[in-house]
Amino acid sequence: MKLMTLALACALPVAALANAPAGKPAPAFTVSDLSGKPVSLADYKGKTVVLEWHNFGCPFVQKHYRSGNMQALQKKYGNDVVWLAVNSTNRESSDWTEPARLGTELRDFGAAPARYLVDEPGTVGRAYGAKTTPHMYIIDPAGNVVYNGAIDDKRSTNVLDVKTAKNYVVAALEELKAGKPVSTASTTPYGCSVKYR
Amino acid sequence: MFQRLIVALAGLAMAAPWIACASPLVKTEHVEAELVTEKAAAQPGKPTTVGLKLRMSDQWHTYWKNPGDSGLPTRIQWILPEGWKAGEIQWPYPRPLPVGPLMNYGYEDEVVLLTELTAPASAKPGSYAVKAKADWLVCKDVCIPEKGELDLVLPVAAGEPASNPRFQAHIERARNMLPVDAPGWKFDSAIAGGKLVVRLAPPAGAAAIPVKIAFFPEREQLIEPAAPQRVTRDGNGVRIEMKLADPPPAGLQAVAGVAVSDDGWPGIARKAIEVKAPLSAALAPAAASATPGREPDAIGGSIVTALAFALLGGILLNLMPCVFPVLGIKVMGFVEHAHGEARAMRAQGLIFAAGAVLSFLALAGLMLLLRAGGAQLGWGFQLQSPAVVSLLAALFFVLALNLSGVFEWGAFAQSMTSSLSAKGRYADAFLAGVLASAVATPCTAPFMGAAVGFTLTQSTGLALAIFATLGFGMALPVLLLAFFPGLLKRLPRPGAWMETFKQVLAFPLYATVAWLTWVLGAQAGNDAILALLSGLVLIAMSAWMYGRWEHAAGPWRAAVAALLAVAGVVVAWPGPAAAPAGVPVVRAGELPWQEWSPEKVAALNAEGRTVFVDFTAAWCVTCQVNKRIALNNDAVVREFAARGVVPLRADWTRMDPRITEALSALGRNALPVYALYIPGEDAPRLLPEILTPSIVLAELSHAPLASQGGPSITQR
Repeated sequence: MKLMTLALACALPVAALANAPAGKPAPAFTVSDLSGKPVSLADYKGKTVVLEWHNFGCPFVQKHYRSGNMQALQKKYGNDVVWLAVNSTNRESSDWTEPARLGTELRDFGAAPARYLVDEPGTVGRAYGAKTTPHMYIIDPAGNVVYNGAIDDKRSTNVLDVKTAKNYVVAALEELKAGKPVSTASTTPYGCSVKYR
Repeated sequence: MFQRLIVALAGLAMAAPWIACASPLVKTEHVEAELVTEKAAAQPGKPTTVGLKLRMSDQWHTYWKNPGDSGLPTRIQWILPEGWKAGEIQWPYPRPLPVGPLMNYGYEDEVVLLTELTAPASAKPGSYAVKAKADWLVCKDVCIPEKGELDLVLPVAAGEPASNPRFQAHIERARNMLPVDAPGWKFDSAIAGGKLVVRLAPPAGAAAIPVKIAFFPEREQLIEPAAPQRVTRDGNGVRIEMKLADPPPAGLQAVAGVAVSDDGWPGIARKAIEVKAPLSAALAPAAASATPGREPDAIGGSIVTALAFALLGGILLNLMPCVFPVLGIKVMGFVEHAHGEARAMRAQGLIFAAGAVLSFLALAGLMLLLRAGGAQLGWGFQLQSPAVVSLLAALFFVLALNLSGVFEWGAFAQSMTSSLSAKGRYADAFLAGVLASAVATPCTAPFMGAAVGFTLTQSTGLALAIFATLGFGMALPVLLLAFFPGLLKRLPRPGAWMETFKQVLAFPLYATVAWLTWVLGAQAGNDAILALLSGLVLIAMSAWMYGRWEHAAGPWRAAVAALLAVAGVVVAWPGPAAAPAGVPVVRAGELPWQEWSPEKVAALNAEGRTVFVDFTAAWCVTCQVNKRIALNNDAVVREFAARGVVPLRADWTRMDPRITEALSALGRNALPVYALYIPGEDAPRLLPEILTPSIVLAELSHAPLASQGGPSITQR
């Protein structure tokens, strides 16, 4: 009977995840940032956009911030791309953090995303099919998803793995910069589940 | 002397199993971890089984080797004495762990991850220190990476070791959950249209596989783990249909994974089997099949039973108000020919049957094709189009007018009743078969929807066989009369009674027209009814003219009649914009129906309200009967109010892909379907297709009573 939970849980009218696979147009969205200002994907037409699904409560995210990896990328590519961190954690989750406190935490870590989007209802996450934190997307200036997947190839919470991992986002951004197509456009994201409502 | 001492010491070690299981318990915040051994000692050169036992806090889970949408598999790094070897983790089969819209594969409560350790053949008896560095991600709604270093002192002894009673039960349970090879079974898989199909076929002669099956692929990013899996029968095997990940993995040669059946497998003592299914061109995914395997086994399994019921159903079709008159005409034709040539009659009977069977096959084939093409269709789909409903109404009306004697068919019908050339009679017999099938389909839709829907979940071959049998069953009475003309002699001799009988037969057809008109009204509104009825008036005029001046010479009679008939059809044709909003009208003493949407069900459930969904359609006769008898019953209406149950109506009278999708998620594709969503229950309760007030009341009693101050709010 337990087995049937699989089938039955899916039969429940939980709004399913959509998907934004590489090669397809990126779903449009408008959502508030930490300060409450609306942010639209359309605002950044003509620019490369990176979406990073974020939740400081998740040990996989902590790995990339404790190691300084994510902040370094945000700063390194800050001039070339618009880096948007997205948090789809629902208010009832124990990982939910009030925007004010989140601002402090981001500052403490030295994080530098262009904007930090509070996707509390999970609309953006569902539209993109974001499954984990972190889950990374790169959108090219034409508005197409060119990368969808993991941050790197070392699926772990171990800070030491960051150094030896192959970073897919770096590889893709460098290829884009050189005017080449992204060679690894889809990987399996890893991390904690996004805490959807 | 020295050797003897060692043997003696080894014996001592065997007699002292507590040495072997003296692994200290490692406690982390959410897990108690410990190494357990199957045997009291290891033998040199032979593998011994050791398990990492993880006992998770309530509701926390760890992950399988493919964790699903998120998570991380548990890892063990062994630190062993020189020359020892450790095998891979043997993973017990996982359980699905839904997390909101995501799905994980893993373990709750307890899991024992078995590993084989092998001491070198040269190992001297004695005690050896074994260490496991394990790390695991343990999650509830949040995730914590944890780790533990587990120490074990493992004795090595020369003789066959005794088992270790302390952990035997744990190891055995884990071992019983290991997937096993299924000897003699055949597996294959296919990918098409965003679906992955895996087919499991037991050896010939094996009992049918149960259909409560879940498939866990080894590879990540192969399927969407949260999408429902559809399990359908395929011979004595099954096919499991899953949603393919987008993008699908490149260079896939075979699908590897574990298939788990709660009810076990024929000839295999375990619940999980190892599946390696090469991609095969021979297996085309049946987009037509769409049922999570809950219902089919309830309806009955074997092909023979299914075909027997199809035959019976076909015979019963003859009694349907729309088919009976056609059959009546055919039989009357036979009555007139009762003393004719036996061979010609047999041929006619066979041709009639062929017409019926081929028409059923054509219709079923058309539907299967459309479904394979991705159209969201269920049986009765023909009646979802107002145009088809109008045309059928016109057709039945013309047939009824004919039976009433308003007009005669002329040359066409004379062949039915009088002596024309044999060739003409054959063509006529075939047409009669086609006509009988054509008029039978609208009748099958409301009465046999569920059964036909079940048929469609079977393999294409079986579905076609069932439809063919249905057609054969319908033709059977005529065939019998054709082959045993003696039976005809029991019927009254031809005479005036036949004319009366024929005219009586018109009334079931008028009734069918009335029903179709009502269906059209529900689909396209009041104006469409007016259009249809005006069209029917014109058609009646056409028929009357054709009949009144039957013997008139000259072309004008046929021309004017044809003109009127065409005008009738044009007038009756429903306009494209004639669709009214599907807002249910609430009447006093009836349930306060609201319009259904999946979001509404979720939202109301989240508020703590129980939701009752009536999947219905105007053309579904069973639905109307249930509504009158069981749903609009005073006691039921009171109980709905008392428990604050919100009745939602999903009206499938017109095509609605969202409803088709919701039905297929419930494992149905035909009406009626009644589902009760009680907050806190992880699956809706499905009510039977035929309702009585007591059935509804019994099911409602599971819903919580509404609190005094209105709907209760439950904390999420």
